[in-house]
Amino acid sequence: MTSPEVRDRKFFDDRVAAAFDARVAPLEALIADAEPVARACHAMAERFHRGGKLIVFGNGGGSTDAQHVSVEFVHPVIVGKRALPAISLTADVATMTGVARRVGFAEVFAHQLRYLATPDDIALGLSEDGRCDNVLRGLEKARALGLLTVALVGGDGGDIARSRSVDHVLGAASTDPRVVKEVHVTTYHVLWELVHVFFEHPGVLTGEVMSR
Amino acid sequence: MTSQQDLEALYPFLYSGSESGAADVDGVLAEVRQSTVDKAREIVDLRREVHRRDGARIAACGAAMAGRFARGGRLFAFGNGGSSTDAQDLATTFMDPPPGFPPMPAFALTADIAVVTALSNDVGFDVVFSRQLAAFARPEDIAVGLSTSGNSANLLSAFDEASRRGMLTVGISGDTGGKMAELGSIDHLFVVPSPSVHRIQEAQTTIYHVLAELAADGVPGGHPFDQPAPGWAT
Repeated sequence: MTSPEVRDRKFFDDRVAAAFDARVAPLEALIADAEPVARACHAMAERFHRGGKLIVFGNGGGSTDAQHVSVEFVHPVIVGKRALPAISLTADVATMTGVARRVGFAEVFAHQLRYLATPDDIALGLSEDGRCDNVLRGLEKARALGLLTVALVGGDGGDIARSRSVDHVLGAASTDPRVVKEVHVTTYHVLWELVHVFFEHPGVLTGEVMSR
Repeated sequence: MTSQQDLEALYPFLYSGSESGAADVDGVLAEVRQSTVDKAREIVDLRREVHRRDGARIAACGAAMAGRFARGGRLFAFGNGGSSTDAQDLATTFMDPPPGFPPMPAFALTADIAVVTALSNDVGFDVVFSRQLAAFARPEDIAVGLSTSGNSANLLSAFDEASRRGMLTVGISGDTGGKMAELGSIDHLFVVPSPSVHRIQEAQTTIYHVLAELAADGVPGGHPFDQPAPGWAT
């Protein structure tokens, strides 16, 4: 199968083994982080229960995650789960590129939130290293508007993890953007599924939510 | 063996007789915490199984993809729903890779909503990917299709079209592989053995990320795209 212009077979076998090994520790870290994940689910369920919607945004690979999250909530893969309102801000390329040209790329998500969000909503920002100005600005705007703010970050979490505008920060313990994305996929799959667990116990959604 | 007492300790809300109050919140939070741990363990085990079953085949596929890129090939990725976002992630992983990796030409067939809706409206949703491949593809190119069920009609016809045109065809499926496992048109097929759509997607993401890493790094001296290249034009 290997053609003469590529490296020898051992290179490929070794890289596959190393890559799969690198995926284990960050999942162990997610297991250790189960408590903040559970608290984020509870707070999100409370917002949906009040009639809020989920607004998701990110750059690069994170933009594909934003769209994955929105389809997950709007069109559940598990039969019988109710559809919940969610939109991805990266789906509107016209507005994104328009605002980027007119105001600046840092303002694209904040601008959309300003006109699409209501105070009961949830803002979910994804950033592989926590250093995305537009995601941070979006979360800050969301907080100012009264939204619940959730961030999925990687690496050391950067400015986003340290921001006082973010209610729930869920980190992926890796600096490889591919591994960070994979931990994020598991995390938002869990967020989706476990938000619905709270709906099965509606009594727990009427009280105060400890969101911090 | 699990005793009744253990069950009550794990899921106190099931036995409290009430659905409100702080004790119930703690109970549901405990259930959700445990479920998070269980799901994370599931995907760790599933990736280990994928590596055991398919590690050598992933290496061979990565080498074949590197060979296509070395000959000037380009990658086209496609899928539906959540898998469409994986196709777009795969394309951007090549086009805008992590530091140290060379950018390479790749395109997701779901990226142009005008083309997708035009083909769906005028011809049918089953041809949205195959018609695009018919327009774009060259024999040295690569087609990567992702599906959790392996049964999407538009993927099946895309693989037939890709194979007819001499493209290297890579299929990433789940569960038992579905109809994709019955095709003769897929050169490299990876089936993630799980009944959970979510766990399948998570393991599929690892498979295509590893393939992308191998394809980008597998050519000594770099790819032709590291130099000024003829570009995208067909």
